[in-house]
Amino acid sequence: MAKKVMLVCSAGMSTSLLVKKMQTAAIERGLEIDVFSASQAEAKEYFDEISILLLGPQVRYLEGELKKVLDSMGIPMLIIDSRDYGTINGEKVLDEVLAELKKGEPPGFHEEKEDKP
Amino acid sequence: MSKVIEFLEKYFVPVAGKIGAQRHLVAIRDGFVAIMPLIIAGSLAVLINNIPIDAYQNFMARIFGEGWTTFGGYIWNGSFAVMSLLIVFSVSYNLAKYYKSDPMAAGVVAFACLMTIMESAEEAWAIPYTWTGALGLFVSLIVALVATEIFVRLLGNKRLIIKMPEGVPPAVAKSFAALLPALITIVIFGLFKVITVALGMINIHQLIYDVIQAPLTEMANTLSSAVVIVFLTHLLWFFGLHGANIVEPLVQTMYLPALEANMAALSAGVSLPYIVTKPFLDAFVYMGGAGTSIALIVAIYIASKRKQYRSLANLSVAPGVFNINEPIIFGLPIVLNPAFIIPFIIAPIILTIFSFLVTAAGIVPRTVAMIPWTTPPIIGGFLATGGSVMGALLQIVNLLIAILIYLPFVALAGRIEEKRQAEIEIDT
Repeated sequence: MAKKVMLVCSAGMSTSLLVKKMQTAAIERGLEIDVFSASQAEAKEYFDEISILLLGPQVRYLEGELKKVLDSMGIPMLIIDSRDYGTINGEKVLDEVLAELKKGEPPGFHEEKEDKP
Repeated sequence: MSKVIEFLEKYFVPVAGKIGAQRHLVAIRDGFVAIMPLIIAGSLAVLINNIPIDAYQNFMARIFGEGWTTFGGYIWNGSFAVMSLLIVFSVSYNLAKYYKSDPMAAGVVAFACLMTIMESAEEAWAIPYTWTGALGLFVSLIVALVATEIFVRLLGNKRLIIKMPEGVPPAVAKSFAALLPALITIVIFGLFKVITVALGMINIHQLIYDVIQAPLTEMANTLSSAVVIVFLTHLLWFFGLHGANIVEPLVQTMYLPALEANMAALSAGVSLPYIVTKPFLDAFVYMGGAGTSIALIVAIYIASKRKQYRSLANLSVAPGVFNINEPIIFGLPIVLNPAFIIPFIIAPIILTIFSFLVTAAGIVPRTVAMIPWTTPPIIGGFLATGGSVMGALLQIVNLLIAILIYLPFVALAGRIEEKRQAEIEIDT
């Protein structure tokens, strides 16, 4: 199943710029990842579907409010680095997402498979 | 300067962050977001009816008959005229959602509570349009928050769940869960109404309007209030926080009634009472986003040869036209950059003062229409002023002023950067 990555800012407008860049980067790498943006008002509607939530730096004050709910659902959250956000660096943010998602996977899952000849 | 920034970051930013995430304010803000499409539709209706061009007015009258403006009037009835009924539901819904309670039930109960305390129209037994529009906004917000708080608490109370005998399907049992909480909540409001009437306060809406809303609207419509709001918004942005978003609940609550009064005055053909409204700020100050940043982009094209600045300007110009400016704010960056704090805060303040003065002098008409905040400059000013070329012209003049303010600082920032690079080269 494709992993869903949600980017959240106040109206979902400026994050949509980054969404496009990240989605392109994901497709180029052949990854099955679905990236989309939502306004802070809509965000809660998607909690059931997403694998990770990325918060725009300008609304980072929402972290506490969102974290309470997300933690209970086991969904990780990242605040997007402001410089990456400003320069719309889709590749780098995607790297961070992948690293964070990897943390959540069961430990040794992939390694074990590779160990067996 | 760096001391001041450090101090603010330590004491001001956390407080602002808390306010920005405060659940009641978030609910109010999201509540306004939900009704904004209707507010914009109502604005368009008024625009269609009132474009100040004789040829247009005659043309419409010839095609649709003398009563052609009733169409816009009907849309007004469904949007601006019932704004307070819409907002009581949408705010309550969002607050209940925050509590992970039953948002739909809470919204419906809050609406019922509002109607419980609303005094019917004097002449007939009827819902008074006087208080369903922007004039009732404060009462609606208070009722939405209070009713939801009560209802959500009661709904969470296990003792208030009516126990069904064995064999009753769980879905049926669940439908009774909201029964007692809803009943108790509306009874509380009913009693409140009885008591206030007994005390001689027949019309709670009138009372709250006179004591709280009218003074606030008046206060908000002074030049100094506008400057304070613009200053706060930009100070927050300087620290990388979404300033407009944080002050939004305040701005909407104070300025929507002012806008409605202007629209009503326009339809009635009398002079418009208020200068400062949300579209006033959106159109004449936040061009390209906070900091009038479209002017900064132009200033970079004029005065900077630095590759980094230029490529960022290229990246920012398309979203900037639609007043989205996060790329330039975080990419340049403006955030925590001492080189840009002065123009980023001063330019919008000067534009606020200048726009206020030319509007007060009657050179530019007052704003009458809520425009989507993503409307590009020049078009935005034209629409917000009800189709006045002067509105577009003021935006052009304001852009030129802002460009002039930014120019020396772009040059300065370039020189600071060059010096630093030179130092790095010497060091290595």
